[in-house]
Amino acid sequence: MSVFQYIADNWGVIEPQIVTHLEIVGECIAITSLIGLGLGIAAARSEPLSTVIMAVTSTILTVPSFALFGLLSIWFGLANPPVIVGLVLYGLLPVTRNTRAGIKAVDLAVVESARGMGMSPLQVLLQVELPLAVPVILGGIRQATVMIVAIATVGATVGVDDLGQTILSAIGRTTGTIDAVLAGIIPVALIGILADLILAGIQRALSRGRVSVAAT
Amino acid sequence: MITFDRVVKRYGNSVAVDHLSLQIKSGETVILVGPSGCGKTTSLKMINRLIEPTEGTISIDDRDTRTYDVNDLRRSIGYVIQQVGLFPHQTVAENVATVPRLLKWPKQRIQARVEELLDLIGLPAAQHAKRLPSELSGGERQRVGVARALGADPNILLMDEPFGAIDPIARERLQNELLRLQRVVRKTIVFVTHDIDEAVKLGDRVALLSKGGVLEQFATPEELLAHPQSKFVTEFLGEGPLVRRLALIPISEVALTPVNGAAPAESVDAGGTLRDALDAVLRSSDGRVGVVKGDQTLGIVDADVIRSASMRSR
Repeated sequence: MSVFQYIADNWGVIEPQIVTHLEIVGECIAITSLIGLGLGIAAARSEPLSTVIMAVTSTILTVPSFALFGLLSIWFGLANPPVIVGLVLYGLLPVTRNTRAGIKAVDLAVVESARGMGMSPLQVLLQVELPLAVPVILGGIRQATVMIVAIATVGATVGVDDLGQTILSAIGRTTGTIDAVLAGIIPVALIGILADLILAGIQRALSRGRVSVAAT
Repeated sequence: MITFDRVVKRYGNSVAVDHLSLQIKSGETVILVGPSGCGKTTSLKMINRLIEPTEGTISIDDRDTRTYDVNDLRRSIGYVIQQVGLFPHQTVAENVATVPRLLKWPKQRIQARVEELLDLIGLPAAQHAKRLPSELSGGERQRVGVARALGADPNILLMDEPFGAIDPIARERLQNELLRLQRVVRKTIVFVTHDIDEAVKLGDRVALLSKGGVLEQFATPEELLAHPQSKFVTEFLGEGPLVRRLALIPISEVALTPVNGAAPAESVDAGGTLRDALDAVLRSSDGRVGVVKGDQTLGIVDADVIRSASMRSR
């Protein structure tokens, strides 16, 4: 296998792509987690709202990524902005769904005793419901992360210079296609696995006494 | 003092509590008891406004509870429920500190209070402060729930079937502990149960409610057992109310037969109740039981002594 030879020969190109990839993924996780958390809380509070939010976030996931990026580039121009917006949209479903499920799974007796002791609705949310839902919410963020790391490669189609470019450049080559594709895929896979392991570690550390979740 | 003044709670067309008027004095334990659907829990939750009445007023020391900020009101009232509802992600100490923390007490004061409360419930802080609720037995959890409710030293304690989910032996222990605790802290306790024995054992007064939140009788346990005011009360008291009443009479208040000759083989501790004495009488071979305090036999209990004692205190 000359994949590693290929990576070494092209390190000058691939290294900045890895950096760009990490930057985009990092930003998208942060933004999608914040928005997803907000939507999840809203969905946990209101059933009608939940129906709408879940329908919209699920529908977004059915749009093929290059079509979505292409569409978004009409408003956001080329390169990073449309891809970031698109990836944030993709990440919403797992984060929102798990936030809602995590809050809903909190024992009603715990919430009632919190209210009965004089916690305001905001205090119940911040001191009881969210802390207890943390492992489930992190599970959603993990799913979103793995997805975003992979789909970010498609950003290359609208001009993002991330690891997708290395994969894209392999298409149509007469020789060394496999090496070039793998040179893009292997770092992507490593980023995905590493991010997942880190989040899984955090999830386990924060699960003490909380709503139990199977490590998914 | 908690006053219910013609309190009504309706859900659509069904009446959960029907014109309930009740006065609970400071420092007394009042038990709300009745079958399911009698509105006892609803009545309790209207005191700390987890449920708002449809009509009528509830006041605490003559102040309408609706004039309080709802969270301030709840922080000033202890609240214990059957499922306890301890915060599973917090330690025993953190749970007990909940209300003081909400009231923004200084750290040191909170810590001192938590230690005091854990001592009070018999789970000293040194061994138990850092434990998680999942590491406690059901009975320990319930005691921590009581400590948490007492956090900021409220005058009023609301308890909603607190021992309902506990096995009978531990329940009996918790009941005795509550009686002991109440002698120390002297709170106004409103306690909901469906178990008439528990009501009779723990209450200074018992309010018996029937379906639809109708107050059938509000009286001391002795009065309730001896003079039920309606057919409903009689039926709810069930079999053997007089036998049950024996559990309310301490042996120390009974005129015993003096020991004459050899002390009987069977004995009962002088700290018990006539119910314990009756048990011993039934267990004995000759119907005579010595009442002992330490190694001293104070006197003898037999069926006649029990009968006349139960007559006198009626």
